[in-house]
Amino acid sequence: MADAAAAVPGDPRDGPTVLDSLGEDITRIVYPVTTCMLLVVLLVSLLSSPSAPSPLAASIAATTGGGGVSGGGDDIPTALVTALTFVVAVTAATFLLALLFYLRCTPCLRAYLGFSALSVLLVLGGQVALLLLSRLRLPLDAVSFALLLPNAAGALALAALAPASVPIALHQAALVAIAVLTAFWFTLLPEWTTWALLVAMAIYDLAAVLLPGGPLRVLLRLAIERNEEIPALVYEARPVDPRHGRNWRLWREGGQPGASSTTVEVIGEVLGRNLDCNSGYSSSPQVHEVATSAGDANNSRPRATLAAALSSADSSIAQAEEVPVLQEHRVAVAEMRVPLIQPHPERYGEEEEDEDGIGLSSSGAIKLGLGDFIFYSVLVGRAAMYDYMTVYACYLAIIAGLGITLLLLAFFRKALPALPVSITLGVVFYVLTRTLLEEFVVQCSTNLLMF
Amino acid sequence: MTVAAGLGYALIALGPAFSLFAGVVARKPFLVLTLLSSTLFWLISLIVLSGIWRGFLPIKSGTWWAYAILIITSVALQEGTRLVFWRLYKKMEEMLDAFADRISKPRLSLTDKMLISLAGGLGHGVAHAVFFCLSLLTPAFGRATFYVERCSKMPFFLASALIALGFLVIHTFSMIIAFNAYDEKKKCDQIVVPVVHLAAAVMTLVNLAPGGCLIGTPLLLVMAALTLQYCWRVACRRLTEHQHRQLNNN
Repeated sequence: MADAAAAVPGDPRDGPTVLDSLGEDITRIVYPVTTCMLLVVLLVSLLSSPSAPSPLAASIAATTGGGGVSGGGDDIPTALVTALTFVVAVTAATFLLALLFYLRCTPCLRAYLGFSALSVLLVLGGQVALLLLSRLRLPLDAVSFALLLPNAAGALALAALAPASVPIALHQAALVAIAVLTAFWFTLLPEWTTWALLVAMAIYDLAAVLLPGGPLRVLLRLAIERNEEIPALVYEARPVDPRHGRNWRLWREGGQPGASSTTVEVIGEVLGRNLDCNSGYSSSPQVHEVATSAGDANNSRPRATLAAALSSADSSIAQAEEVPVLQEHRVAVAEMRVPLIQPHPERYGEEEEDEDGIGLSSSGAIKLGLGDFIFYSVLVGRAAMYDYMTVYACYLAIIAGLGITLLLLAFFRKALPALPVSITLGVVFYVLTRTLLEEFVVQCSTNLLMF
Repeated sequence: MTVAAGLGYALIALGPAFSLFAGVVARKPFLVLTLLSSTLFWLISLIVLSGIWRGFLPIKSGTWWAYAILIITSVALQEGTRLVFWRLYKKMEEMLDAFADRISKPRLSLTDKMLISLAGGLGHGVAHAVFFCLSLLTPAFGRATFYVERCSKMPFFLASALIALGFLVIHTFSMIIAFNAYDEKKKCDQIVVPVVHLAAAVMTLVNLAPGGCLIGTPLLLVMAALTLQYCWRVACRRLTEHQHRQLNNN
């Protein structure tokens, strides 16, 4: 037993293997998405009344003689019309955004961004805070509330919009707060409308990014031509760098040669190699060389972070420094540098301007638009209104969809929408769980059977 | 029975899973991803099972043999799915080794492989515990508690949580045993895992009898302890052999 005990705590001869840091960038985006969904589910369970009670809750309520809550009466045609109207409004708004960007009207874009972030935090945040106060019966007087709310809203809005001047944790927390509040507001819509809206937004996302005339594609082309950032709200996971892990600013000023190989690059590399072996000719290295030699200036620009930097002067200087270092980096690593994927801004009429779609920044950290956070959380929040079983199933489905989108990102290396796969999987799993799994599991569990 | 009781039941079912997650899995991000994909995989197997059985539900309460058939078919399907899981794992291991060679880092060590099988098993256990126990705990956060007729001495939630705990342990550690057995091609270990799964599942049939849960639940926890002990033996043996082989090579 003694030598077993000595053998068990890992073999010291093996140094840090490939397993130690692989997948870190993906988990850095999975954790905030999970947190956002968790907060929305908590808010929904505290504040909303269930739309249609699940069988177990209904049976328990029936045995105790309590009254069940009847489902909301909205029908499918109304839902479809509402969803269609919303999609048309979003398309029009995105074209307007593209037009403003074309006319180089960045101050008004930034002002709009600030206004929408502040209004979400102030109005929706205030509403949610009031609901929470009354539900949890917390004692707080009106004067303190009137003092605390604008200050908190202002501080968070500033943190969300100016990432360079606040600690990164606060910036990320502010973005998640905005997403949580918007998602909670969306879950207040009637049931069929919410589902129709989710499906419509997924289809819109797919069309807007991939079709040649789509507004987001137009916007991306403009951004690439001009080598400018699109001001928008986007969540960027902290860059993975084992040496400069604590100081996130370093990666902006200078790249690190031969640095971390992110999981997306790994996946892309492995897929590329498999493809080489299967097809028998090496096309991918050629693609890489082309990308390396010809498209450097073009590719590395959009690579700069799109976390809405208010100081464009700073960012352009950082970009200029990054370009030569990136070239060295690429030569040093010499393989699958997945080229930058542009973000896809999306607007929701009176809502804030946020970015949709998924991409990579110069250090390989994954960027996810705030719109994706919002719609994932809306789906999970709506599932929470039925029962927690659907919540777990939809959560797993959405994370799986996110993983698949990242795989596709590494494989196709072009602009990709993050909504369609996740929303499709989420809806499919919701339907399957509600119709098939629940009956089965409740049958087994109420008889205390398990396997 | 209030939030405290609800949280208590949730922790009884999932406490060890949280500890394993925080202590082992969360340290390596790849294991977190393995855990999530494993949970999804076993959820899909549960959905397929429920799809197959949907036409036959609800089962009339008198017929215990219908439940027996349900359990046996479910265990058989899940054990078959475990083999598929093993194949997927082998593919992924090849990819990882190829990548490790590419960036000239050492390949996956034995400890790494065992950690991946632990994460896979934890995903299996968490999927079952969450869907069979946790998703039904919502009423426990309310004001009263709930008793089933056949189990009038324990609250339903407590019995459910204890059973979920037992199965969580069994699934987590039998995955390690299974992966070791497939790797080393040891027939006896390969048989042990399905037998343990089947035995534990059949043991829950005892809960159908009135007052049966007082016998079934402790027995299940004993089985979980036995699985844990067997896994400990298998892992120690494998690691010491590996150590000795490395010493002999050097």
